[in-house]
Amino acid sequence: MPAFRAKELKGDVRQPWGTIVAFLLPALTFYVALTAYPAIRTLWNSFHRVLPRREEFVGIANYSELIKDEIFWKAVSNTVTWACISPVIEVTVALLLALALYAKVPGARFFRVAWFTPVLMSYIVVGILWMWIYNYDWGPLNTLLRAIGLGALAQPWLGSPDTALGALILVTSWMWVGFNMVVLLAALHSLPKDVIEAAELDNCGWSAKLVFVIIPLIRATLLNLVVLSFIGKMKIFDLVWITTKGNPLWSTETVSTYVYKRAFEWTTFDLGYPSTIATVWFVIVLATVLLLTWLFRTREKLEY
Amino acid sequence: MRSKLLSVLAGAALAWNALAAQAAAQTKEITFWSHWAAEMPKRTFVEKVIADFEAKNPDIKIKATWYEKTALYAALKTALRAGQAPDVFYAEPDQVEYMDSGFLLDLSELNWAAVEPWAKEAWMYKGKPYGLPLEAWTVELYYNKKMLDELGVKLPDNLQLSPDAFLDMVKKAKAKGITPMSLGAGDRPFTGAHLVHEALLKKLGVEDYSKLLAGKLAWTDPRVVETLTWIRSLTDAGLLPATFTTMKLAEAHIYFHTNPGALTFLNGSWYTSRAFNPVDKGGQPEDFQLGIMQFPSVPGAVCNECRTIAVGGSYVANAETEHKAEVIKFLNSFLSPEVGNEWLENVKVQTGIKSDPSKMNDKQASEYFAMIAKTNAGAKYHFGLPIQVMTGKPKEVFTQVFNNAFPAGNISVEDAVKQMDAAN
Amino acid sequence: MPVLTRTLVLLALSLYTAFAAGPFVWAAMLSLRTTTEIHLNHFAFPNPAHWEKFPDAWYNSNYATYFMNSIEVVIAAVVVLTIVGAMAAHCLARYRFRLNRVIYFILFSTIIFPPQITIIALFQILVNYGLYNSKLGLTLVYVALQLPLTIYILESFFARLPADLFDAARMDGYSDWEIFWKVSLPIALPAVATTVILNFILLWNEFLFAVVLITDEANRTLPLGIQRFIGDTQEDIGMIATGLMIAIVPVIIVYAFFSEKLIQGMTAGAVK
Repeated sequence: MPAFRAKELKGDVRQPWGTIVAFLLPALTFYVALTAYPAIRTLWNSFHRVLPRREEFVGIANYSELIKDEIFWKAVSNTVTWACISPVIEVTVALLLALALYAKVPGARFFRVAWFTPVLMSYIVVGILWMWIYNYDWGPLNTLLRAIGLGALAQPWLGSPDTALGALILVTSWMWVGFNMVVLLAALHSLPKDVIEAAELDNCGWSAKLVFVIIPLIRATLLNLVVLSFIGKMKIFDLVWITTKGNPLWSTETVSTYVYKRAFEWTTFDLGYPSTIATVWFVIVLATVLLLTWLFRTREKLEY
Repeated sequence: MRSKLLSVLAGAALAWNALAAQAAAQTKEITFWSHWAAEMPKRTFVEKVIADFEAKNPDIKIKATWYEKTALYAALKTALRAGQAPDVFYAEPDQVEYMDSGFLLDLSELNWAAVEPWAKEAWMYKGKPYGLPLEAWTVELYYNKKMLDELGVKLPDNLQLSPDAFLDMVKKAKAKGITPMSLGAGDRPFTGAHLVHEALLKKLGVEDYSKLLAGKLAWTDPRVVETLTWIRSLTDAGLLPATFTTMKLAEAHIYFHTNPGALTFLNGSWYTSRAFNPVDKGGQPEDFQLGIMQFPSVPGAVCNECRTIAVGGSYVANAETEHKAEVIKFLNSFLSPEVGNEWLENVKVQTGIKSDPSKMNDKQASEYFAMIAKTNAGAKYHFGLPIQVMTGKPKEVFTQVFNNAFPAGNISVEDAVKQMDAAN
Repeated sequence: MPVLTRTLVLLALSLYTAFAAGPFVWAAMLSLRTTTEIHLNHFAFPNPAHWEKFPDAWYNSNYATYFMNSIEVVIAAVVVLTIVGAMAAHCLARYRFRLNRVIYFILFSTIIFPPQITIIALFQILVNYGLYNSKLGLTLVYVALQLPLTIYILESFFARLPADLFDAARMDGYSDWEIFWKVSLPIALPAVATTVILNFILLWNEFLFAVVLITDEANRTLPLGIQRFIGDTQEDIGMIATGLMIAIVPVIIVYAFFSEKLIQGMTAGAVK
């Protein structure tokens, strides 16, 4: 992420406000009307009971109810778990694959295209495909397990509270490894050749070269991908909605599915409580992202 | 000459205006959204009622849109809020939120003399009725006669197996590799719970069962725990399919009567709306021998003849409709014994409309209703499914725990009752 | 690399490729078989290949409507996004004024907004302005949704353009608008192409906002249409697979054409 230099004035020309406003106005109008205002309205909703014909101010009643809401905390736990595990898997596997391609394995072009295809699919398509893959009776996964004699392991992957979340995490990893790999490959290719060659001349072993030279050089990219993946999983909705809808027993309930359910599928029409959930969640996401960015803050560029 | 022309024109203009005014007053359009897009008997029935009504009332047109239930509910939830809801739409009595928010038209003007009192009761809210109770159903235990004979199980005269005999039957079926009971909780919040609530109702009797659902009786009550433990012993013996948690309703039907074929199927008596379809539309095979038995008696039960009756698909009206009189007229067209009988004959499910099952012409319908009459003989009814009676948090927990997790064996009896008590 | 390692690596890579591309290939096979055939054997090769299923799905299952709706909404949104986003990015990159970095930061930071923070209120707002359940409403929401990312990518590109280019243009008497339209934009075409492709893919597949803001059958976009088929009836696997293929094809085409550009662009932001 670019460092935020508030004090520095950006740009090369000082121009009359007229032009600046003209250029910025359309974008800012969209932003204010359809992003900023809704966000503020949601915050306002969170302090009310928002019914179709009227709104009642209830102070912090929604918030105190939220603190006691076990479903909400289960959803938070699921989502945060997902957001922590996924980046690790996705970036690690992607790095290994990128290194393999970097080492000039034959068929690199083909591999790259093949691995990238999952990224292009909508979560809906992916969800349906994987529901079929995980199908207990005829899905490829269980069929494969039975074929190689591990039939005892075959189970309704999306129907059991113990395996459902893991099954979904596998799906998102399947989707995003390709993307991460492509980014890392580009990063590897943009590394200065002389440093790599220097490492080779120093007789570094293959793993040493990896750990002490390459990884530090692409550290910024790696961290960027981790943060991107983390944010993406904190927002996830589509995949869960099309596959399990949070079942069984809330084991795949995420904050986004819970908000949707409270807003559009509950026994009341109240929009206040789901707005409360959204507000609290927003604060949590913001806090964790800031924390991550601070943890991973880039130090000075490596001298070479 | 000129004045003549003018008068002709004036006359024409007047005539035109009159015609236009008449035409404008002519066709009123009522928008109508309903579930049952895929349940042909019900859909055909309703379409016939619509056609008959339009024939008798040429100035009213009904614009019908057919949905699947989940899509319908989602569309309604937002359309009602946005003021874009139809004039008449499908609803079920558990949707109190519609009444709470004042979205529904008070239907006191309807011809309630033609409706069963208990059906009207299901739609009463603050002393006024808000829905036309078209569909009523009980929970029945269907079984495959041929399979039962092959297993060598004989049913007693009252069609109710004792707990031991039932468990025995389950074991016999499992030994032959047959799933004893088809059941799925994949896409409905009430199907899986049939097992639990019918058993609890029998054990506790109507009064205490109502208390339980209302949160006035603790779920940790020993009778409740005993019943749940008994059910757990059945599911542990392999009563349900392995794919229970994800199996859809339509799939559960097919699992029972076609592929792979199960011994029994615990389902609402609207089983017929899917099973009596043509085979390529998910119906049961031509030569399928359908039987209905009683839910087994529950150990230590006080009321083994208790069962649940629920009002299902009903039609309600939008409080903001511009065609109030026409809507009332339309809904009234459902309320006659002839229409009630037609429903019984064609849809083969019970109805809230007063009708006479003895006057039916269709053979399949008479046979089927004879079976239903037998299992319902001498029954004591509790009105409403748990999810129609509960609201808010308890409803959500009940659905997750007893519709899904408990029958699947994913939660222990202690945890289940603890969660229910915590939610109340 | 020594031969043994090389073969092992190739083996691992091939296994992974089967894992990555397998589902897609399987779906493609399913799309050409009828559901009855599928129930007999879920993994057989399509024989014969039922190409007629595609026109069947298109005309009889309403895919044509969903597809055209998606095309309308997404193309409109992408066009507006490109113009509005480029204007804002150009301004932020090349003009010095006090609020510059503040505005940039505000716009950029909304990338991390979880959609729930806006979706409920957006629902209320669209209802109030009569834009609920309309393609126009959805298009406007989509523009606002993707604006931060678009501006971010374009701004960093515009910022890298050499200052002399602009000085020369200014000396030639170009107005600010002409500088933007005739100088910056043409040179920034690669970055613009990237945002176009990115936005197209993301909005083509977008589901959450669509499912909340559109319920009318006639206005559904493709992801909603597909979801509808996972309905109450017994799963028509063959038909659903065909539908899935129809949904994936445009994106694959866009990707195949622009894969180099796309990768360049996607990595431009992430690689530092």
